[in-house]
Amino acid sequence: MSLYPLFARPRTVQQAAQVLESMSSGVVVIAGGQELMPHVNHGVLQPEVYVDINALADLKGIREDDGLVSIGALTVHRDTFSDPLVAEKLPLLVEAMKLIGGGRQVHNRATMGGNIVAMHPLYDVVPVLLTLEAQVEVVRGAETRRTSLKELMADPRHGLGSEAILIRVLVAPMAADAGFAYEKLKSSGGAYGSANAAVALTVADGVIASLRLVIGAVADRLVDASEALAFCIGQSWSDALASKVEHCCAGLIDQPLSDHQGDGEWRKAMAGVVAQRAMGRAVARAVAQEGR
Amino acid sequence: MEDLLTQSTLVQLRVNGKLHELEVMPFTSLLDLLREELHLTGTHMGCMTGHCGACTVMVNGRIAKSCIVLASTLERAEITTIEGLRTADGKLHPVQQAFWDEAGFQCGYCAPGMLMSAVELLKENPNPDDAAIESGIAGTLCRCTGYRSIVRAVKAAAVRMNSPEA
Amino acid sequence: MPADKYVGQSVRTIEGRGPVTGTSKYTNDFAFPGQLYAFIVRSPHASAKIKRVDLSGALKVHGVVCAYDGAQVAEHLNPLTHYIDPGVFGGQSAELRAVAIDEVWCYGQPVAVVVADDRRVARYAASRIQIDYEPISPVLEIEDAIAPDARAVVPGWENNFIMRVPFRNGDPDGAFARADHVVSTTVRIHRFSTQPIETRCYNAVWEHDTESVTLYATAQNPHPMRYVLSQILRMPENKIRVIAPTIGGAFGVKMHGHPEESLICLMAKLTGRPVKWTETREECLLVGAREQRHDVQMAFTADGELIGLRDNFYANTGAPSACPGWGMAFLTGLTMPGPYKVRDIDVTMHAVATNKPAWNAARGYGKEATAIALELALDEAARELGFDPVELRMKNFIQSDQFPYPSPNGLMYDSGDYGGAVQKALAAIDYEGWRARQAEGIRDGKYIGIGIAYELTPEGGALPGTMVSGYDSSSVRIGPDGSVRVLTGVTTPGTGNPTGIAQIVADELGVALETIEVTQGDTTTCPYGFGNYSGRSTIVGGGSAALAAQELRVKVIKVAAALFGVEVEQVELHRGIFSVVGDPARTLTFKEVSYASYTRAYDVASCIMPPLEATATFKPSSIRHTPDENGHINPYPSYSNAAYVAVCEVDVATGKTNLLRFAAAHDCGRVINPVLVEGQACGAVGFGVGGLLFEDIRFDSSGRQLTRGFMDYVMPRCEDIPEIRMVHHDSPNPDTYMGLKGAGEAGVGGSAAAVANAINDALRPLGVALNQLPFSPSRVWGVIQAGTAAKQNIGEAA
Ligand SMILES: Cc1cc2nc3c(=O)[nH]c(=O)nc-3n(C[C@H](O)[C@H](O)[C@H](O)COP(=O)(O)OP(=O)(O)OC[C@H]3O[C@@H](n4cnc5c(N)ncnc54)[C@H](O)[C@@H]3O)c2cc1C
Ligand code: FES
Ligand code: FES
Repeated sequence: MSLYPLFARPRTVQQAAQVLESMSSGVVVIAGGQELMPHVNHGVLQPEVYVDINALADLKGIREDDGLVSIGALTVHRDTFSDPLVAEKLPLLVEAMKLIGGGRQVHNRATMGGNIVAMHPLYDVVPVLLTLEAQVEVVRGAETRRTSLKELMADPRHGLGSEAILIRVLVAPMAADAGFAYEKLKSSGGAYGSANAAVALTVADGVIASLRLVIGAVADRLVDASEALAFCIGQSWSDALASKVEHCCAGLIDQPLSDHQGDGEWRKAMAGVVAQRAMGRAVARAVAQEGR
Repeated sequence: MEDLLTQSTLVQLRVNGKLHELEVMPFTSLLDLLREELHLTGTHMGCMTGHCGACTVMVNGRIAKSCIVLASTLERAEITTIEGLRTADGKLHPVQQAFWDEAGFQCGYCAPGMLMSAVELLKENPNPDDAAIESGIAGTLCRCTGYRSIVRAVKAAAVRMNSPEA
Repeated sequence: MPADKYVGQSVRTIEGRGPVTGTSKYTNDFAFPGQLYAFIVRSPHASAKIKRVDLSGALKVHGVVCAYDGAQVAEHLNPLTHYIDPGVFGGQSAELRAVAIDEVWCYGQPVAVVVADDRRVARYAASRIQIDYEPISPVLEIEDAIAPDARAVVPGWENNFIMRVPFRNGDPDGAFARADHVVSTTVRIHRFSTQPIETRCYNAVWEHDTESVTLYATAQNPHPMRYVLSQILRMPENKIRVIAPTIGGAFGVKMHGHPEESLICLMAKLTGRPVKWTETREECLLVGAREQRHDVQMAFTADGELIGLRDNFYANTGAPSACPGWGMAFLTGLTMPGPYKVRDIDVTMHAVATNKPAWNAARGYGKEATAIALELALDEAARELGFDPVELRMKNFIQSDQFPYPSPNGLMYDSGDYGGAVQKALAAIDYEGWRARQAEGIRDGKYIGIGIAYELTPEGGALPGTMVSGYDSSSVRIGPDGSVRVLTGVTTPGTGNPTGIAQIVADELGVALETIEVTQGDTTTCPYGFGNYSGRSTIVGGGSAALAAQELRVKVIKVAAALFGVEVEQVELHRGIFSVVGDPARTLTFKEVSYASYTRAYDVASCIMPPLEATATFKPSSIRHTPDENGHINPYPSYSNAAYVAVCEVDVATGKTNLLRFAAAHDCGRVINPVLVEGQACGAVGFGVGGLLFEDIRFDSSGRQLTRGFMDYVMPRCEDIPEIRMVHHDSPNPDTYMGLKGAGEAGVGGSAAAVANAINDALRPLGVALNQLPFSPSRVWGVIQAGTAAKQNIGEAA
């Protein structure tokens, strides 16, 4: 905690990594500031050093890289969801990101990296990235590492934002005939999500062939329901299956959040509702694709 | 690496057309910089958490909530505030004119958010429908109007901007 | 309305250029040379003894000018003066200090203040202050506070009732004995508040040469605030100037009584420098309102006539404060039974003190709670007894030929046509059409609901022995150049009343609107006035300005007649041009006549006494403070009222409500500027919708406030407010200037109740209903689940 923090604006990732490495504590990486600044403004967070990563060219841009869609950590939400490549290859991400709150002002400045590193259970980007089994590239000191986002999220010592820098996210394109949907339940226009579900699946011959589904905003951690929903494989969508999905997903939430968004019992139930609704829409999309 | 660390940073901001070279402390929000250093008090503070939008300005042609922009991260930027919407000859911007004529505000505290949002929206979508306007101004709270008059004002602004005289 | 009058037209606001160009100055926009900033250290406990305050850490921080604790502040400041002292009305009064001394009564109460030359330094230094508390188990809920063994929130009080007031009339017991049906409903209203986007701000400037203080303040009532400051600061009123610049919304929260007002003045006095304090959103959210529990009983005859009303209600007004918030509970009781003709009533108001932060006034001032309690209970009755909700109301409204109507509590309702307004609102929304769609919807599993509600809103109030007064004054000044300045004792929180007042003056005086400027909110330049509350500003501000303008019109016509050399009856004045009847070619400009009035006082203009300035007061005649034989007074001159209809669809799987349409037919008397009036009404609908559906201030079990910012306190955004059809159904008020009624305050309760009733209507096929606010998705879902479970149990039992 310091009244007079220091500031660094490294020009290369290497420089940035070195600055971070040289500091012991009180250092924060800042990108768009949309996450950090509310805390700074209220005195909850008083960093000793800000490391501004906005000059790092390696963290910018969206491109195809070795068959994967690479989204730089500094890409702001609006540039992500209005990008033609993302629209074509990752339509689920577009659907979810358009529902991010805060208005255009936030869409114009909040970055992909900041959203991921915030790891906020109510946010909308990570559920999709987990559904799509995204990889992330992280630099720490001299080391550049590529891991799955899932692994990174599970590691309490990932050090992102103080010791490590997220360079980019890499996502395999969704199958052209994939069914997908992002379902976000919120209490009002300005509220954060109370229950979210991201789903990507494929349908062959009218039955579900593969399925990934991640639930957010109902518990401290996001819940990957894909395995628990394995019973759906080989099934066609029906009211009976929908209620089984709903029941199964609600059952996965053992410690629901209970906050201004709504109480725990409701959140648990809503996990089921959004999962079931997302899946219903995704199957309908996939079936329509198949019919074409 | 220590030589990278500084106690203040130089930023070059062109604010409403005027260039400022400023040495800013690393805790200063763009909002405080505009209001306290440049005395542009037309941009307002309502929450400091990014929720109300009263502090909205345009940064490089895109709207942003200045309370949650750290000024020192803007190495070089073009800023437009509500004071900068008027044309050089002092004429009101069509959006300003429409908000005034259509009672698009009451107390006016949210006006920076509503007007800047409308300007950005109409630049991209000259004929927005209700849903587009709702999402275009979603980042800004208004406690006085109940919003319907704001929607009306944005539509009136669109008509003005699309008319040949504008 | 002749087109050549400004009154009745939707002219754009004369004060509107500032906001759209960013040039309006709000309080926080002022900064003075040598400006200092105050930071207030607040209690983290709901209830605690203060054992020790150690300021030394803060005083060591470079840039800190001073720091004070409660005891030090008390050496300089008298206890806070109550806006409305419950003691005056027979209630329990507490001694209130700007900064707590030995004990804190609520979370967020000020316990120390730091002043520094930088805001961040002040905040940082505050974190260096050490305070030892001994927490006491807090009294938070109504039920805790009224329990027989409850600890008194205020040491020395007998119990936790600030005040208990019975509102009883006729023979309620007889009515209940005679009734064919009695319907009991408990309505719970939660804590929600006004939250203008501009928070409070005070900037006090010490004037060394005159040893006086000028306070720039987000103040709704500058003159009464000056009085209060003089009492607390121990300074005469003529050494204090309060300036209320442009206000960014107020809605009651900027009525005074807040500890920071006098504290910041004191800091300026002690440091000799300007000191500013700007409320954070977190601090603004500490101000509570509205939390009430009503146990309503309604007695009906077989054919649905409401013959008796009982309502035992409790308001959780939080810790005692000098703000006028607690008085809202009184108004909730006084406004019973709203627009209904039932006369046998037994209502008891209990204003309860707890260890939550205090209330302040909130748009509606308690009258919204009357509407919510009555309208939810009436719908409950309609459901239980099988009446159509519209029909049940129509049967029980006061009829339009009964005005002026003395209410059972002695209020004198001036005018109205409640049934007519309901019909208009229903027509505006296409009620029959929606009923048909509702029936169709059910077949497709869509739960559509239509809710109606009525709100009667006494406005322009005056309470005897308080600074809530019914009259106000204005000055009109014409310069030698013919330009006009109006100075009023009323203020604007951003409602456009300066324009309404200017429209009135332009018509009365006969000048063009563009030649008028309006000045408000300065205790040194404006005539004495009570500022803005209770939808009064146009009634009394406009009324008094009209009287002053009439006086000046007589003068300028006299001078014009002398200049023309004709009789005054032959002079016409319109939009600043004088002419002679029958000889339109002979004209004089307003400037010519004004100039002559000042410069030819010894010849042509000797027929008048210069200058062209007049001050007048409008004092509505219908306010009566001498009690009648029943002890009743009539504190209001005006009773605006409106019918509200909401249409919604409830997603029964999630409990989420989607508002589809909204309509209101309102009677706010003569309308000066329709767009401004509609703007007020739409804004109030926003409050009602937000409060009913999602705005909610919550605490943990130790009394710490959990709702700290806009992430938690979610207010409506554009997409949350449906299209609003607004129709006028005006009956002019016979007792005010031009028949004005208030327009600013009404609508919060009526719109909230209409939405609540619409949701319950949607839930009807499921056999459940909710009478506890907010109707958040989780709560609505909860009652649906409980209903389903109950049905299953019945099914199993059968
Ligand atoms: C009003 C409002 C509403 C919002 N609503 C939503 C919503 O509905 N859904 C949603 O998903 N999000 C929402 N957000 C959150 C928003 O998407 C995130 O705050 C944003 O993405 C953060 O990006 P940033 O660049 O501004 O982060 P910053 O504030 O700059 O940083 C955030 C954190 O990430 C770290 N960091 C940033 N970039 C990197 C990097 N490249 N490497 C390592 N660490 C890094 C920082 O150290 C910090 O800890 C909302 C935000 C606001 C202000
Ligand atoms: S002050 Fe910036 S969003 Fe509220
Ligand atoms: S006009 Fe007051 S907040 Fe919008």
